[in-house]
Amino acid sequence: MKRILFSSRFWLVMVSIVLLAYPIAQHSQYYQHVMIMTMMAAVLSSSWNILGGYAGYTSLGHAAFFGLGGYLVALAHNHYGWHPFVSAWFLAIIVMGVALILGWISLRTQGSAFVVVTIAMVFIFRLVALNLPNITNGARGLTQPRPGWGGVQWSPEFIMVPFHYIMLALLCLTIFVSWRIRQSKFGLGLIAIREDEGKAEAVGINTMLYKVLAFGISAYFMGVAGGIYSYFFTYIDPQFIFNVFTGVTMVLIALLGGRGTLWGPVLGAFIMEPLGNWLVGAFGGTQIHLTIFGGILLGVMLFMPLGILPTITNEIKRRAKVRAVQVQS
Amino acid sequence: MLSVQNISKAFGGINAVDECSLEVKKGSVTGLIGPNGSGKTTLFNIITGFYPTDSGEIRFNNHPIQKLLPSQICHRGIGRTFQITRLFWKMTVLENMIVPVRHTGWRTLFSQGVKKHEEERAMELLDMVGLTKFRDEEAQKMSFGQQKLLEFAAILMSDPELILLDEPAGGVNPVMIEKIMTLVEDLNQQGKTFLVVEHNMRLVMELCQHIVVLDHGQKIAEGKPAAIQNNPLVLEAYLGSEHHAGA
Amino acid sequence: MSIPSSHLLIQTIILGLLVGGVYALMSSGLTLIFGVMRVINVAHGAFLILGAYLTYWLFQLTGLDPILSIVLTAPVLFLIGWGVQRYVLSRLENPEKSSVLVTFALAITMEGLMGTFWKTTMRSVKAEYASEVIKFMTYRIPLTRLIGFGAALLVLLILYLILQHTNLGRAIRATIQNPSAAELVGVNIQVVSAMTFGIGIATAAVGGSLLSMIYSFNASSQTDWITRVLSVIVLGGMGSLPGAFIAAIILGVMEQLTAVTVTLYWSPIVFYLFLFLTLIFRPQGLMGEIVREKA
Repeated sequence: MKRILFSSRFWLVMVSIVLLAYPIAQHSQYYQHVMIMTMMAAVLSSSWNILGGYAGYTSLGHAAFFGLGGYLVALAHNHYGWHPFVSAWFLAIIVMGVALILGWISLRTQGSAFVVVTIAMVFIFRLVALNLPNITNGARGLTQPRPGWGGVQWSPEFIMVPFHYIMLALLCLTIFVSWRIRQSKFGLGLIAIREDEGKAEAVGINTMLYKVLAFGISAYFMGVAGGIYSYFFTYIDPQFIFNVFTGVTMVLIALLGGRGTLWGPVLGAFIMEPLGNWLVGAFGGTQIHLTIFGGILLGVMLFMPLGILPTITNEIKRRAKVRAVQVQS
Repeated sequence: MLSVQNISKAFGGINAVDECSLEVKKGSVTGLIGPNGSGKTTLFNIITGFYPTDSGEIRFNNHPIQKLLPSQICHRGIGRTFQITRLFWKMTVLENMIVPVRHTGWRTLFSQGVKKHEEERAMELLDMVGLTKFRDEEAQKMSFGQQKLLEFAAILMSDPELILLDEPAGGVNPVMIEKIMTLVEDLNQQGKTFLVVEHNMRLVMELCQHIVVLDHGQKIAEGKPAAIQNNPLVLEAYLGSEHHAGA
Repeated sequence: MSIPSSHLLIQTIILGLLVGGVYALMSSGLTLIFGVMRVINVAHGAFLILGAYLTYWLFQLTGLDPILSIVLTAPVLFLIGWGVQRYVLSRLENPEKSSVLVTFALAITMEGLMGTFWKTTMRSVKAEYASEVIKFMTYRIPLTRLIGFGAALLVLLILYLILQHTNLGRAIRATIQNPSAAELVGVNIQVVSAMTFGIGIATAAVGGSLLSMIYSFNASSQTDWITRVLSVIVLGGMGSLPGAFIAAIILGVMEQLTAVTVTLYWSPIVFYLFLFLTLIFRPQGLMGEIVREKA
């Protein structure tokens, strides 16, 4: 009993305190940056998990919505002066709308075909972004004014702090929604779809509706994240933001931590993102990044397909059973 | 209650179902028999919306349903089991009971996953089939017979008016067959209508008030059990194939 | 958009046909692999680039003609492909669902490795005859393109002969049609799968060699190529060689037409759109089989 109390609630509180106090306690800009990116990775993979983990539909194209959010927010900022910290939350609704439409079209496919369709989707977005220079500034990308508030730019020492808290807020919201979905009939239905889609349909679950909703909801959080991201870096580049690798990273993180679980994607993010940053720092360049991420993904899929969290929980359950049997005899 | 009118379905040149028509009266237990490959399961799949029909119409309580999605047909009140038992294997027995839905509105969609009254009803049904103590076991850990009972109990959760059973006695021991027959009889007394595909002749003759016989996708006979047993066309259809009618 | 003159139009279509032939060759291995193993090998683009790099280095270091080097590169890639199937893919529990992700992981690992070792400079093989142009009537046909087309046809013919007239080919065709039945009549599915994957990757060696002559490339080009090749096999019908050929020609011609009438930069969209729309509205492509929904 004590052990259970000790584990979930307690750790949740501890982690919350750490995250809340982080920017105040940690003064190194580098580590503040890494924490923000880590939380963002957790947001992305947790929202991917709603469709990819609960419902089992692997999308490699969600970077499309991340990028779309980034572009919408940047454009709104440049043309209308809307502050991203406010506009991101609303513009992401447009992203969600686009996703609902695209989802309705593309979710007619299943399994491998769906994965390929989502890849095509990202590439189409990229091509459009590159070739409509009047709107998107083409290959040169979009820049925004440096972050600040009310006309005052934030100083370099302070700049990470607001981003940390807004990203933390987004992370909390994403996890909260993911949790509520998991507890609801909607979540149960998504899992049924993952287990046996035909049977789910036969027992009254409108699978198309459920899948499209999951697709759209996951796109919302990606859109917000993308908007904040474009402001954080003040620059977005279509080649970089609309690519499959971003999507694959989300998937890798979710798979590593535990696809279909609530905290798996978060755990995966807190492992992979700092690791990725360290790799880039130590070895430089994207090539090593690609090699190692590819290698880890291969390793996870071949040797630990359930991911860390489920593997650990299964092991704990197994040991508990073994002990129960021993106690009996 | 269910009216199948001139349904045809071809798969690449082969007529799986060929101008087939039948009626299922409300409150009856109707049997659908025929040698292997006669189109019985295909007809089930068409009725429940898994295959589109090439031509013809299906009416349920006088509403056409041939163009509906399987989930919509479920909502109209038709439930169905599968020839090869299908369950959500990694979910628990209780969860398997909770998943089927009869009505979903937006509010129910995002509401609590397992509600009190649903749990109570699920336990009632599990009680009825004798699976109460397995409620937290994974479905895949149950025995074959238990899984069949679970599938049956689960579709009762959405309180269907018409229940399609696809070989309920398939691969199951005689004790279980008795159990299933009793269940069907009890539920029929309570007003539920059944359409049963079966190869076990004893079950069909004892349980069904009306029998429809298919061969090569067409209806070749229908009537009361006694009449069917002595129908020369039926005997020829069966004896002419490799299938043996159960004793 | 500009409407080209009829001369330019025909010139473009000719080029499209030649380009399509090469696409057909590159896609043949991929569609064969899918037909036999139900695996979508998203790493095919990476293998194409690997083949291109091997050809390039052989040419740089020994002056070996890119077409001749196929004799060396094809067996090497065959062995690599065979090894990948035997030791990686065969471990997968549910190949139909997980093959895309696993081969994708393989693709980015390969891209990373190639980029690490061979950097990001764009490469291409410039044989002496590289800049020659054949004049046919009033149309100009780059020699490399013609050679590419010829080589593609030759290899496709060889593939066809293997499939139709050898025991292995028969076993492969049987496995494509019905794996369980094939197993029942004595076909060793594991061996057939490994051989097929090997053959598929060997065709990538040939494709890569042609690629190196006609296009410039680096490690990250693999994503452009996999999308092209995927579009071809999806449009053609996954698992159908004739379908891949027809689809490759169609897409090749459309790509060139788009480049000429709209702009070069929009031409990739032909592939993305066909890929997207075919999977959604006609998943079996032109000549593939409709996979029946379970019920």
